[in-house]
Amino acid sequence: MEETENPRAPSLEPERSFGGHAIGDPFRRVVESAPYGMVVSDVAGRIVMVNPEAVKMFGHSAEEFLELRIEDLVPPRFRRGHDGLREGFHRAPESRPMGAGRDLFACRRGGMEFPVEIALTPLDMGDGPFVLSSIVDITRRKRAEEELVRYAKKLERSNAELEGFASIASHDLQEPLRKIRMMGERLVALCEAELGDQGRDYLGRMIRAGDNMHRLIRDLLAFSRVGMRDGGFRRLPLAEPVRDALSTLEMVIEEAGAEIEVDDLPEAEADESQMRQLFQNLIGNALKFRRPGVVPRVTIRGGIIEAEEGGRVRLEVCDNGIGFDEQYHDQIFEIFRRLHGKTEFEGTGIGLAICKKIVERHDGRIHARSLPGEGATFIVELPKQQKASNDQSPSHR
Amino acid sequence: MMADDDADDREFVREAFDASGFLGEFRYVEDGGALVDYLLEAKRNPRDPASPMPDLILLDLNMPRVDGYEALKRIKSDVGLRRIPIVVLSTSESESDIEKTYDEGVNSFITKPAGFNELVEMAGRLKKYWLELVKLPNGPAR
Ligand SMILES: Nc1ncnc2c1ncn2[C@@H]1O[C@H](COP(=O)(O)OP(=O)(O)O)[C@@H](O)[C@H]1O
Ligand SMILES: [Mg+2]
Repeated sequence: MEETENPRAPSLEPERSFGGHAIGDPFRRVVESAPYGMVVSDVAGRIVMVNPEAVKMFGHSAEEFLELRIEDLVPPRFRRGHDGLREGFHRAPESRPMGAGRDLFACRRGGMEFPVEIALTPLDMGDGPFVLSSIVDITRRKRAEEELVRYAKKLERSNAELEGFASIASHDLQEPLRKIRMMGERLVALCEAELGDQGRDYLGRMIRAGDNMHRLIRDLLAFSRVGMRDGGFRRLPLAEPVRDALSTLEMVIEEAGAEIEVDDLPEAEADESQMRQLFQNLIGNALKFRRPGVVPRVTIRGGIIEAEEGGRVRLEVCDNGIGFDEQYHDQIFEIFRRLHGKTEFEGTGIGLAICKKIVERHDGRIHARSLPGEGATFIVELPKQQKASNDQSPSHR
Repeated sequence: MMADDDADDREFVREAFDASGFLGEFRYVEDGGALVDYLLEAKRNPRDPASPMPDLILLDLNMPRVDGYEALKRIKSDVGLRRIPIVVLSTSESESDIEKTYDEGVNSFITKPAGFNELVEMAGRLKKYWLELVKLPNGPAR
């Protein structure tokens, strides 16, 4: 900060008289200690007074300033027309920001431009009107803004690239894989007899590995698609996607002899097909990670959390299965992360990552509670209403 | 008749049709351009046994040079060809591909099945539906 009593600081006693008025000490102090540049000029644009911050900002000494006109502080490319603006101001003087909505630039000694914000205040000192220009150098802020925009763009691009990559890779990987599986099947069908026990065993394992990879790619594709959807939000009784998910899982439910209970579920503004995917994954897990010899019981509950702004709904999928150690409650939502071996329970480790991505696309949260051997509960919270619901444009990607 | 640039797929599909009891002639071309050329030739020489009009076209979408969309568009906008039923048989599952091809007048859209048994079943159904069950106009429009 500037010292207020620096003797070499620009004088506030300009050679040119300032309206012959004794400028009161308080005014001088305010100007002198202001954290932004202050320049007082007369109707003709002659500068009659500056403060230390202006000296620092523009690089002219206080004495040099008094030889300048306000136009000299404006970059040459904007100078034309400035007289007119100045006269306009003096015709209807009122305090206002300058160039509202426009990017303003000032010009340092030596010609370097820098972005500024300027407020204009009329000062009537008796023998004619003056104008006080308060100037803030916004170079840093501008740079930070640009940096932010650049960063956001980069992030958006790399996200899009990643999703595009996952989707293209999935398609193109699926192609050769489909053939490997098909050839394997043909081999079994046509040459099984000639293969011998070991040959059949290898071939069987090859086909199973191919099936696994097929599931992996399919799930990866589903994962990458979550973020690629545009819009699709509508007011939705959440009982609907739950019912659809249950009907897709019908065979599994029957096979497991599971008991399913669905309580009353609230409505929320959501993407129907993604809600179906969410419940299918959660209920599918609840059925898959069951305890041997225990009748699997899955409960789907819902409620409304009024307290929060706009209202949120809470959904729970609760099972009596094997559960897991809660120290892993975050990790299980990471892609490919599994707590149980492939031989015990098959799967790709992508299901919960898809759930998380879906919930986050809805501006919601998902987490899990569990104790090993005592079942698990997955809790989803969603806003009742999506933020962008009143504009029909595609949502963010 | 099948248009597909993938030799393995052509073989699988032909085998599947054989396995499903299809006794007719199975022809193929390797891209959309060749398909359209063949059909125009068949239209010019209606009685030439070397180039019979196909009863059904199986059309892949991603092919080099003239792809399936373009071939579909050309066939469906040709009065003499547009009555031939066309079934897209592609790896695509994308909604936009499905919408686009139906808008161009495709008769059905099938995603290539992942297993050979499914392929045989598909061939059997296609045969039963398009070659036996469905009534089609007798010959091209004039
Ligand atoms: N209901 C559940 N009970 C116990 N463990 C679960 C449950 N749901 C998920 N998990 C654990 O979280 C892991 C990740 O789940 P998920 O992403 O759906 O993958 P996947 O089902 O393919 O294994 C599972 O492998 C399992 O270890
Ligand atoms: Mg799962």
